[in-house]
Amino acid sequence: MASTTNTPSYTLRYFDGIGLGESIRLLLTAANVEWTEEHPEWPQEKPNQPFGRLPVLVEKSTDGSPDFVICESSNIERYLARTYGLLPADLRKAALQEQLRDQMMDVVIAFSGYARSISEEDKKARKEAFEEIFEKFIALLTKILQDNGSTGRLFGDSLSYADIAIYIFFKNLILDFVRLVADIVDYAKPKVTSEIIKLISTVETDPKLTKFVLKSGDLTAAVSA
Amino acid sequence: MASTNNRPSYILRYFDMIGNGESTRLMLTAANVEWTEERPEWPQEKANQPFGRLPVLIEKSTDGSPDFVICESGNIERYLGRTLGFIPADLRKAALQEQVRDQTFDVITSFAGFVRSTSEEDKKARLDAFWEILDKYIAVYSKHIQDNGNTGYLFGNSLSFADITTYVLFKNVLIGFAKFKEDIADYAKPKLTPEIIKLISTVEAEPSISKIVFKSGDLSAAVKA
Repeated sequence: MASTTNTPSYTLRYFDGIGLGESIRLLLTAANVEWTEEHPEWPQEKPNQPFGRLPVLVEKSTDGSPDFVICESSNIERYLARTYGLLPADLRKAALQEQLRDQMMDVVIAFSGYARSISEEDKKARKEAFEEIFEKFIALLTKILQDNGSTGRLFGDSLSYADIAIYIFFKNLILDFVRLVADIVDYAKPKVTSEIIKLISTVETDPKLTKFVLKSGDLTAAVSA
Repeated sequence: MASTNNRPSYILRYFDMIGNGESTRLMLTAANVEWTEERPEWPQEKANQPFGRLPVLIEKSTDGSPDFVICESGNIERYLGRTLGFIPADLRKAALQEQVRDQTFDVITSFAGFVRSTSEEDKKARLDAFWEILDKYIAVYSKHIQDNGNTGYLFGNSLSFADITTYVLFKNVLIGFAKFKEDIADYAKPKLTPEIIKLISTVEAEPSISKIVFKSGDLSAAVKA
């Protein structure tokens, strides 16, 4: 599909999985821009990345200027969200959305700490810390959704960056993290509130995302089962 | 110092440490806005924070509108960076600076993982991971400083968001982190390149931050000693 305007096209370099790449895929889909994906040989391609890590985003202009290359998943997400209108221009409104994404990452960091613990004592301490921050995050999200009228949207009345980021958090948790912690779904699923389930189904039925969102799995079905 | 115009004033709530608060202190000082710091009793005040954590930033308007409260250190820093002019308005230039901050956060988070570990095997694994990412950071940004003309700035020729976050990273590693690992400077100092040392002294010589930069220590002296 050729660019009909001077809109850039994109290459996402990431692994073949949800992880820290799927929010980027959804933002590119919602932006309706031309994009492709590369799955670099790993770790052979580490030295060829700006910081030895993935994801990396390559933005290619139509005017012959050099490719623009950035890394760090949340940085890539914010850049796309701002460029394509999924983050408000108003700095305060944007900060409230970015905050949720950062809080979500705190929960993911706590989960990683738990999943990779070696000794039993560390595992136990990290598990408690993860569960505490996860439950706090669920309560916070549920309140924000309720305060926004329980419409299945975190802010305003159309798909936002925050909706996508939080949707992906639950997609990782329910459909992928079981390979890291065997009983994570047994623990987490009962705690997912009805407001959050509504957010999940609202994102999965958004017209801007339908052509792509279910490729990595049907989360609404998984949390409702 | 009374506001002479309609600029907001700020309260930073954080601990008495460099950590994830110092970049905010430096930007507020460099911007010459009115600000104070609160040191909440901890953990007694946990429940009174938006997400049970610090830092928290309160922005107080002069027009009587409610306080604007945000949390998550990167979010706070980017909000102030944009509001106070340390992050460029151009989205591409901004992304290249925000990327630096996200990476400094990865390094600091990596060390935090070491601090939280209890068993010897977990401690070793986490410390190894910290050195690996710090080494990468030093290599990437030493080259960046060279490519920018070896002026001691990461971008352009004046103090930027990226310079501040990099300076604070090394202040944490060489001074702040000693609280958790006494001999860390013995390992870290030999890793510093002339480019990084030049950035450190360039930042510490900035007139706009001179009134507070040495309160948390003299990093230029520490790296030469």
